[in-house]
Amino acid sequence: MLGVATLRALAYPRRYALETVHHAKFIGLDSLPLVLLMGALSGAVMAQQTMYQLSPGLPREIVAGGVVGGMLTELGPVLTAVVLAGRVGAAIGAELGTMKVTNQIDALLTMGRDPVVELVVPRVVAGTIILIPLVMLANVMGIFSGYVTSVGILGLSTAEYVDGAKGYYHHGALVFSLVKAVAYGFAITFISSHVGLRATGGAAGVGRTATRAVVAIIVSIMVLDTVLGPVYKTLT
Amino acid sequence: MIRIIGVHKWLGGRPVLSGVDLDVREGETLAIMGPSGTGKSVLLKHIVGLFDPDAGDILVDGISVPSADRAEMAAVRTRTAYVFQNSALFDSMTVRGNLRMGLPPGFCRGRAAKCEELVRAALDHVNLEPDVLTLLPAELSGGMQRRVAIARAIIGKRRYVLYDEPTTGLDPVNATRINRLIARVGEEVDATSIVVTHDVESAFFLADRIALLSDGVVAAEGTPHELRETDNRAVREFLDAAPARGPA
Repeated sequence: MLGVATLRALAYPRRYALETVHHAKFIGLDSLPLVLLMGALSGAVMAQQTMYQLSPGLPREIVAGGVVGGMLTELGPVLTAVVLAGRVGAAIGAELGTMKVTNQIDALLTMGRDPVVELVVPRVVAGTIILIPLVMLANVMGIFSGYVTSVGILGLSTAEYVDGAKGYYHHGALVFSLVKAVAYGFAITFISSHVGLRATGGAAGVGRTATRAVVAIIVSIMVLDTVLGPVYKTLT
Repeated sequence: MIRIIGVHKWLGGRPVLSGVDLDVREGETLAIMGPSGTGKSVLLKHIVGLFDPDAGDILVDGISVPSADRAEMAAVRTRTAYVFQNSALFDSMTVRGNLRMGLPPGFCRGRAAKCEELVRAALDHVNLEPDVLTLLPAELSGGMQRRVAIARAIIGKRRYVLYDEPTTGLDPVNATRINRLIARVGEEVDATSIVVTHDVESAFFLADRIALLSDGVVAAEGTPHELRETDNRAVREFLDAAPARGPA
């Protein structure tokens, strides 16, 4: 029901455009430092593990391939989504949950306003759009930190890393990353809104709602990760 | 006119409303009185479609609320305003933002000056100064929150204003202020008011008519004078048990 109402409300952008910008800032700009940190750390880990586990007997350029491939297809989108599940999903679940248990949602209804248009759509649109640049920045950060790790710690030359990265890179991986960003952005905001609007009880109920939102989002991220797997094959 | 016809409602496996019949006449202030837990707020929420009855009907200006389609429900809600027991102000918005929400959707688009004029007029109605406009609800006292909630209800000049326990949780001084405010606002904006309360002093001060809800039905109905004089057992028990708060 909420999905249908959300899709129907999308047809009236003037009613939610301003709020969408506000939420895009909260979801995107305010999450950026954490997303970049996670991207940097995952790129460094990817470089080290690829080197230690795969490079004996294989060309050292494979380290860059492992970093670029790992970041674009898995770590960039998934870790960004997990970070946002904790930061944004919990916040949306708790905020809407509080509004529900304190009659603010009912107040909206009695004023003839649609909570889906006022509350859900701006968050879902903002999350779906803003995950794209966030995932791309996480990817760039991870690939760069993979380079720093490879050259600074693992002893690769710049040429080896660049050649390895070029050798692996293909547009399909980038598109796959974008597809995941959109799917995760929608899932995080939609699920947290859905759970928030079903909150019951007082403060304890809001706490349970935030927890439920995060758990549901993380499970859905992993389910989507599995379901979207075959998309990669069609893109390559 | 609002007509409540044979409304039944079960909640949590028990009957809360067991055939409530009540008419609210144009321009009057009706107080729905009764002990806590007798379904007064539940009945009020039926009028704006927040609850659907298990049986019976609610007519707002001839529109059947339980069977209203989207357009009809929108029509009902543009005629009614609801003041919640806990004020239900939007806590992420300033007072100004909350008051603007009381206007029809899209009203302020391209009409900022008119919108601000209405916001300030509504604030003036409830005796609050414009310097509260930039404050968040959490920065206001309970009494001020209640007054902002009333301002939000009257800013759109709705025909019916529904008050759910407007003085609950307030100290006697603030409760008296709110009662006087509701009485004055009802006259100034020419609205039909329904006040749900378990506060006998409030009911007798505000109401043109009072309905006593007991055991899920309207046990008695009449003017304040008629209810004071009645021998009805439910009324006598309720009035005799009610603590006196002093004159409103």
